[in-house]
Amino acid sequence: MANLPQLYRFCFLMTGESSKAQDVFQDTVREAAFLVAKGEAPADRYWFFREARWRCLDVVARGVQPEEGTNEACEISPQAPEQIEQLEPEQLAIWISAAPEPQRSILALYYLDEFTYREMMSMLGLKLHELSRAIASGRREFQAWLDATVPVAAEK
Amino acid sequence: MKRLSRGLRALADCAPIENVTAPDRRMRTAVSRAKRMDDFAAQQSFDQAIANLVQAIPVSREIEEWFANEKMAEGAKRSWRKTAFHPAILAIGIALAVIAVVAWIKFDEQMHAFPGTATAKKLLNVAAMTRPSDFEPVQAEAGTLSDLFFMKYRLEHYDVPREFSQQRTIGVRKFDDDEAGEVAQIGLAEKRMQLFLFPASRDSKTGRPEEFEGWRYIEQEGWIGAVQARNGILFMAAVRGTKKDLAPYLAKQ
Repeated sequence: MANLPQLYRFCFLMTGESSKAQDVFQDTVREAAFLVAKGEAPADRYWFFREARWRCLDVVARGVQPEEGTNEACEISPQAPEQIEQLEPEQLAIWISAAPEPQRSILALYYLDEFTYREMMSMLGLKLHELSRAIASGRREFQAWLDATVPVAAEK
Repeated sequence: MKRLSRGLRALADCAPIENVTAPDRRMRTAVSRAKRMDDFAAQQSFDQAIANLVQAIPVSREIEEWFANEKMAEGAKRSWRKTAFHPAILAIGIALAVIAVVAWIKFDEQMHAFPGTATAKKLLNVAAMTRPSDFEPVQAEAGTLSDLFFMKYRLEHYDVPREFSQQRTIGVRKFDDDEAGEVAQIGLAEKRMQLFLFPASRDSKTGRPEEFEGWRYIEQEGWIGAVQARNGILFMAAVRGTKKDLAPYLAKQ
């Protein structure tokens, strides 16, 4: 069974906006209820996240697109947890939702801490090296963004 | 400090954030090795901080009301009947059944195969194509032709078994075949039956003729053959029809 609070958080990370996340979440759960009524209930919890993912990508594609370009990257700082503590969840969601696919979906699923790496590979149709590369580069890029956004903590 | 291998590094990059036991052995190995590296602790703290931030994502009251639908979204369990009639399962089932039937046919063929099966099948084709005019006319009892084969063609032990020795012949011929060697073919008056005598194949190691006990049946394109081995020579009675057309002759003692 899908963990619905986690499903909503996934939508939020993918879209970066609570209103869009709410729409996608509701459409996904409504679709599941519709299938249940037809006697074709979703086979597993992955269905919810797959369905929500496509809906999120569709919604985001219709909105304003982030500029393409290579993000700066730097090694993870020991002060990173303190920097992250100063962030609002919306800031994280905006950053993740601006990441290119499939990194956006990978980071959203990974930081839900809901799925194993095998489950993520299966859901996203990726190989291990693609998954690990996206997560590792996501960390370094987020650290660079953190250093630019929360400089006070970085200077400590 | 020793570096992690590429594969373990890739796994460590996807390590579970909560300090739970990793789901598989390779991941457990990767995590335990990575824990000896300096940067892995930083990675875990980093991931943990982001995961905490994710869990802090506010959920509005409006959304919380939808959580009541969790049971509804769970749905009914798929019944075994529905699962069994799913097109994919059905297709796999049919494919497995076809494979099983083909395997059984092949197994059955192997069980009934005998040394010289291929040659005997080839001679059944010859029987199907032979016309009565192809024979050199000889009207006698089949059992008396051994002398003819020996005297005229130097063919030793080309003896017709007693089950067919009383049959009247309409003609004989001898021909050489690439696989079978020297073949004696006898046309019978009854049921336009044909008898074949040809050398048994030889064991490649010992050089001895490969023989077998009793009668063996083979079928080929509407023809049935009953084959027996004796003194290094295979005898085959062939007739158009089925096993029951030949069975009465073989029952004769």
